Order: sequence, then C-alpha cells, then structure tokens
Amino acid sequence: MIALVALLLLAAPADESKYPAPLREFLSAKNKDGSPVLSENDRKTLAAFPDHTRNLLGAAADSVILGSAAHLKILLSLELAPAAMEIVAQDNCILCHSDPGNQKAKHLFSTDPAARHANPLLNLKEFVSDVHFRRGLSCSGCHGGKPSDEMMTKDIAARWPAEEVRHSDRSWIPGFCAKCHEDAAFMRGFNPTLPTDQFAKYKGSQHGILLLQQKDSRAAQCVSCHGLHGIRNAKSRQSTVHVQRIPDTCGSCHSDPKHMEGYKLADGKPLPTTQVAQYKASVHGKALLEKGDLGAPACTGCHGSHAAMPPAVASVAQICRRCHAQNGMLFDGSRHKTAFEQHKWPECETCHGKHGITKPTDALVGNTPGTLCHDCHSQYAEGNQQCDATAASFRTALDALVAGRADIEAPVERFAERGLDVEPLSRTISELDEALVQTQSKVHTFDLSSFQAAAQPGNEAVVKGRELIAQTRREAGFRSRGLLAAIGFMALIAAGIALKLREIGKRRIT
Amino acid sequence: MRAPGEMPPPRKGLYGFIDRRYGITPLVDFLAHKEVPIGGHSMVWYYLGGITLFFFAIQLASGVLLLAYYQPGEATSYESIRFLTTKVPFGWLVRSMHCWSAHLMILSLITHMLSTMVLKAYRTPRELTWVTGFVLFALALGFGFSGYLLPWNELAFFATAVGTDSMKAVPGIGEWLLQVMRGGTDVSINTLYRFFALHVVVLPLFTVGVVTGHLLFVQRQGMAAPMAHDKPARGMKFFPDFALRDLLLWLVCLIALASLAVFLPYGPGIPGMEWELGKKANPLAPAYPGIKPEWYFLWVYQLLKEFPAHLFGMEGSQAAIAVVSVLFGIWALVPWLDRNARASRPSPAFTDLAMAALVFLAYLMLKAWDIGGGEAVLPDPRAVARICAYWGLLFAAVTVAVRLALRSAPYFDFTAAAALQIALHGFVGLSYLAAGAISVLLLAATLAFRIVRSRNAVAVGTQP
Repeated sequence: MIALVALLLLAAPADESKYPAPLREFLSAKNKDGSPVLSENDRKTLAAFPDHTRNLLGAAADSVILGSAAHLKILLSLELAPAAMEIVAQDNCILCHSDPGNQKAKHLFSTDPAARHANPLLNLKEFVSDVHFRRGLSCSGCHGGKPSDEMMTKDIAARWPAEEVRHSDRSWIPGFCAKCHEDAAFMRGFNPTLPTDQFAKYKGSQHGILLLQQKDSRAAQCVSCHGLHGIRNAKSRQSTVHVQRIPDTCGSCHSDPKHMEGYKLADGKPLPTTQVAQYKASVHGKALLEKGDLGAPACTGCHGSHAAMPPAVASVAQICRRCHAQNGMLFDGSRHKTAFEQHKWPECETCHGKHGITKPTDALVGNTPGTLCHDCHSQYAEGNQQCDATAASFRTALDALVAGRADIEAPVERFAERGLDVEPLSRTISELDEALVQTQSKVHTFDLSSFQAAAQPGNEAVVKGRELIAQTRREAGFRSRGLLAAIGFMALIAAGIALKLREIGKRRIT
Repeated sequence: MRAPGEMPPPRKGLYGFIDRRYGITPLVDFLAHKEVPIGGHSMVWYYLGGITLFFFAIQLASGVLLLAYYQPGEATSYESIRFLTTKVPFGWLVRSMHCWSAHLMILSLITHMLSTMVLKAYRTPRELTWVTGFVLFALALGFGFSGYLLPWNELAFFATAVGTDSMKAVPGIGEWLLQVMRGGTDVSINTLYRFFALHVVVLPLFTVGVVTGHLLFVQRQGMAAPMAHDKPARGMKFFPDFALRDLLLWLVCLIALASLAVFLPYGPGIPGMEWELGKKANPLAPAYPGIKPEWYFLWVYQLLKEFPAHLFGMEGSQAAIAVVSVLFGIWALVPWLDRNARASRPSPAFTDLAMAALVFLAYLMLKAWDIGGGEAVLPDPRAVARICAYWGLLFAAVTVAVRLALRSAPYFDFTAAAALQIALHGFVGLSYLAAGAISVLLLAATLAFRIVRSRNAVAVGTQP
C-alpha cells in the first residue's frame, strides 16, 4: 500500500507553479519562431526530479551560471539521475563550460562533439558518464580550483606543467594520475578492489622507459589508452581498454607506420605495424572479436597492460602455457624441448606463429613436403627415419579418425529426419571428437606410443559408430518392411470389401 | 407368411438372448432400412464426417497408448516423450500417428464443414447438427492448442507463450483469463498441468458427448438430402453399401496415415506442421524469431499482426480478437442467416461466402508463412504481401473456375471482396485493414443494391 501511494505520488504531475522563479521563466521562454525552448519531454524530465534537485538548478539560474533556457535544455538532454544532476547543478566549472552563450567553441563542453568548431575532447555526454564523475570526482579533481568558485582562479591548472610544455612533454601525466591511483588509502575510498601498482608497473614497461627515461612523448601513457573526460570502467564495453577494444586501442599507435617510425626490434629491424591486422585474422582475434569469447587473449593477454613489454624467447612459451597448459606440459617432456633450447627457438611460436596464429590443422603434421614436420626436419634433421615414421603414423592415425567421423556423421541427419533414434550416434560422435582433440594434443609429445594410446578411444568410437549406423539402418529397414506388410494386410481387407461391394451391386442388378 | 400385425417368431442364439432383454430389433430394422440420399453432387462429401470420426478414434486409441508412458512434470514431460520415442518399441509410431492424425482430423473436419456449407446441409431441420459440428470444430482447436505444450519442448513452450498471450486481448477479463490459462503470469509447468487435464479429461469428455449428440442428430434425421433444385434424390442402403464404403475409405486413410507416420515421422516440415521433439523447454531462455503456431491458428496469428497497436480507442489485439469472434459468430449462425436455403431455394451467396472464407484464410496463412520473404529472419512485409497476393488471387481464380465448371450459380460478391482486399493490400500497398475496410464497404453496398433490386422485383411481380 505504501509503495502504491509512493508510486502515485511519484506519478502525479509536478506543479510547475511551485518551481523556483528562474526555472518558471525558462519554461515560458520561446524560440524565434514562437515555439517553447523547452519541449514537452524536457518538462517531463524536469518534473521527474525531486524538489531539492530543482531548487539547486534554480539557485544556479539565480546566480546566472545556468544562463538560459537553452542552457537548461542541454543539461536536461543528458538524462541524468537526480544525484548526478545535483553534482552538475553545484559544479560551476561544468555549468559555465556547458553554456553555449558564455563559452568559445574551444572551451565549450558540447553534447554534440561532431558539431562544427566543437572540441572533441569536451564531450559533455561522455564526461557525465566518466567513471570519475560517477564517483563524485569532477573537473576540480584534476584541474584544481573549487566547484563553488564563481570565477577562474590562478590555482586552476597550477598543479600541471605550463601549457607550452605540457603538450610537448607528456611525461608528467603518469605521475599526475598516480597521485591518486598509487595511493592505496585514497583509492580505498572509491574502489577498494582496484590495484594501485599501475604506475610502478608502467615505469618498468617499454612505454614507461621510453616516456619517463628517454622523454619520448610518442610513447603511450595513461591518457593514450584510457582516454580523457570519458574514462569508463575497463569492464564497460564502451571503455577503450575493454578487452574487445584493446586491439584497436593498441593499434591506434602500433598500426600507424607514421607513429611507429623509428622504433626498432632488438635485431635492429623496423618495428612492424601489421600485428593488429594479423591478430584480427588469427584464431584468438576471431574468438574475441567475432565470437565474443572474452576469455580469448587480446594484446594485453600476452604483453601485459601497464607493464607491457615484448615477450622474450624464454618467456613467450610461458605466456601460451597460461591457457594451453596441457600442450605445454606435453612439449616439456618431449625430445623437441632440448632441440628447441639448443637452437634458441621460442617453443610454441616456432610452429604456430605469434600474432597471426591460425587454427592448427592435421595438415601441419606429416612426412610429406608442405607439412611442418617435413619442412623443418628437411632443414635441421634430415634423414632421421624414426622421425619420418612417427610423423607419417601421426598423420595416418589422425586422417583415419577424421575420415571415420565423417562416415559416422554423414547419415545422422537423414536418420533423424526419419525419426530414428540418433542419440547414441550423436553421443559416439561427441566421444570421437573428445578423443580426436586428445589425440591431436598428444602430437606435442612427439612420441608414437603416447599418441597411439590417446588415439585408441577414438578408434574404438569409430568402430562403435559404424556398428550403430548398421543397427540404425536395420531398424529403418524393419520399419519399411513392417509398413509394407501392414499395407499389404490392409490392402487385402480393402480388396475383400471392394469385391463384396461389387457382388452386392451385381446381386441388386440381377 | 405372417399375418399383418403378427410378431415375428423370437430369434435364437446370442441375438435372441440380447433382443429378449433389450429389444434391439427396432434399432436393427431402422438401420436395415436406413438409406443415404444420392444427389447430383459427388457422394464423396458424405464420407468426410466418417473420416473425421475415424481420425478421432485413432486419436483416442493412440492417446491412450501415449498416456501409458507420458508423465506430466517439469523433469518428466520431455524425458518421458523422449523415452517413448527412442526406447519404447513402436513408441515413435504411436506419437507420430497421434500427431499426423490430429492434423488430418482437423483437415477433414474443416473440409466436412465446408462441404456442409456448400451443399446447404445445415438447412432446416438440421440447424443443431451444424451447431454441434461447429462446437466440435472449436473442441478440436482446443485439443490442438492444449496438446501442443505437453512434450514440454522449446518450440511448444514459446508457441504456447505467444498463443496464450493473445488472451489478454479479451475485453475486461483478459488478464484474469490469461492467469487462469497459464496458472500464473507466465507459461510454467503449472500451465502444462492444466493443459494436460484439459487435453486428456475435459476435452475428450465434452467431445465424446457432443459427437454422440451430433451422430444421434444425423441418425435421427438421416443425412441431408440434396436441395430440391439439385437432381432428384435416390437412395443407397446404409447397411451394407454405405457402411462398407465407409470402411474401405477408413482403410485407405489408415494406410495413408501409417505411410506418413513412417516416412515423415515429424511432419512435412512446414512451420505449424512439425513436431520434432528438439530441445527441452527452458523458461529462462530467450524466445527465438520465427515461432509460429499450428497451421489452423496461423490466420489468427497473422490477423493479430495486421492490426496496429491501437485502433478506435481499443488495443489492436482486442480489435483483432473482436473481428475473429464476429467471424466465428457468423459462421455458427449460418443456418439461420441463410434464409434461401431454409426455404429450399438456391443459395449461391452462402456458397460464395464459404469460398471467400477459404480465400481470406488462405491469404492470411500464406502471409504467416512469409511466402516470398526469402531466407531473411525478418522478411520485407511488402514483398511478402505482394507475392502472397499472386498466390491468393490465383487460388481465388481457381475456386471461381471450379464453380463455373460445376455450373454453379454465378454469384461472386464475397469472393470478389476477398480478392479486392488482397489486390489492394498486395499490389496497391494499402494496409491490410484499410484494404479490408474498402472491400467490406463495397461488398455492403453491393449487397444493399441486390436486396433493394430483389424487393423491387418482388413488388413489381405482385402488381395486379
């Protein structure tokens, strides 16, 4: 009942005559064509606010910082919750910089950053969605000054380097953000789960070394990845550091040949700018960006984020093992492990590649030209008959399992359409798939006996599947024969009836 | 030889035993002398009631067999049907025959109704036979709707959710009715329990009762003789001539049913005519697009889609349900509305009404199937309306051609109105309702003109 009364009270239209006087004036303001500046929708938005919020807006209008009906319309179009609108109504920075009648385009927070002359960095809608704003931290939190100040004061931007320096030398930014973000006690008041070691990690990262030690302002710092005036929680899909947006965020620099000009690999070659394009076509990129598998790695999955560094030969395989642990363990026990160490080859990358990893297929395995085993062994270990035989056995066994699976799967749909029980067949195919994955994984042992042991369940599943197909075909045959027998029986009765009817007809005629 | 009034000597054996106790001889005499009238039209129409009854008997028999294994419940409904169709010997056949027979029963029932309409068999004194037939039609639809949910699979679940949702449109008691049907605000296992009770207890009891009444009416009054203007009536003995033919036809139906059940166990694969078990219902899963009700509900489903959100101050769905109710009401009252047939005069208007109803239903069904919409999940409605209009008009032309070939009276007002609506909607691009309104207004004007003209003709004829 209380809830109902509350609902009715909330649903009751607000009495506009009780609004603060400046707001009433705004409500009656007209455009040049005589239409009201504030639309019916704006009125509804204003009416939905509690009295307290409207009074705060009224006070801002009283002090002329909320300067016009058009200015109020801009604020109402933000569709803010009352608590957020109250922050805006008491923040003179936002009020003053969102008033189109009071600011040049360069300094105006616009709701339409695409508009002519608008500053794209000052998107008002983005700003009121910023994670800092949502937690009560507004302009003065970074820029200095106080939200209640009616005029710009000298302490605004005083905590930053001078304007002519701060845009050319960006090395002040990480330290500036870290003032709050590395202060665990301070951060606990906002988000106790957020780590506070980002700056420490950044200092040791390639980006950090370039920026802080070599004063290379092209290197990424906080703003480069997280943005400005519209920073979202990293879990938000709108965040520039959401896992699915990471490739494009990194690519905004790393895919830009102009930006990356002059950066070199350890061997002195120019740093390529094709990584993101390769990644997007890779099995990981497709899983993350096309299938929406958030568990698939983006750039940061292998390189780290704040501590981003190119993985060295020794560590690259450890990164793969974070997800592909079983294959890593199998490889560790194989004879290839020592061979790769001798050659100083990165383990996984040597066969699978790195940014452009594609889904491995059985075609990689074998002793014929074009297969990975053959091509590598012909170069580094030619003439080893045991290796040739092992690779050939791997391929033969894998091909047999795949062919067996195809044989079993082929008639399943047809059986299902005829209403035959295909559940045992489907189960067998699942068993075969599992065995196939295990068998393919055992390739990483490079050991024939382990491989054959893994392939055995798959071979058994193929035999079982073929037997089930024969059984199902027998059942289908039984049904058809049964139907024919039943039709034959019924046809006999029908023929008897037809003869009887004929006889009756003849008797009547005679 | 017996003298007049002399009773025949008492029979011996089992017949005599029963006759002495229950006096069945008058009944046997009645059946022995019963005749089926033969007119100028084909005899085939007389068998449709029997075929419908045969399919109903199959439904009862296969339903009882299904009941031996079916266990209603959240954890058992789907599983028991799955067990029945995969593990129980011939369980798949029983379910398949039950489903096929249900669809064939409704098909033969509709054909039976249309033939009754065309032959005017509903005319006095057989009005109540028509009404009981109409009630049986409604009960059959109820069987279809309630039985659909029982396997508790995904398709049935969402189709029932969509179907029951239209109950909201009933004025005043819609929300209440929806809750009563669903046993709560949403489709849940409570809905299945009440649909199960309805499907296996309430509806069969009612149906058996009404079928008995329908058959008693038919037996008491005999089958409707052809109209006076039809060829003169002859007679065919019911026993054994007609009954054996009936039996022969039932055998043919059984062969067809068994063949369909074996070769197409999940139906022909047309939306609204498929019953593959698929996945178990998951009330938390989102509904997927393309869910359609059974084919005999498709026209209502499409009509609901044709109405806007609001119309004349009421909700669009309410207006649609009101239109459906009016159409059903007209159909039920046909024996009283058709005054020509009551007076044994030719009544081509109602023949045309039946054909127009077929055209109207066919167009809505074609649209519901998105014919012409290609493979798109959300086909272009204009393209669908246009392509369906070609088929709808072709169908209307076929009905007209058949009637002309059969030398039926050239009365096409209703069919023309239905065709005009299709053309205006499909080719001119008017909304379905606007096209319908124009067609109905033109039809009303034509009918008014005909009535005035016939009254004038009568008045002129009675002048001295």
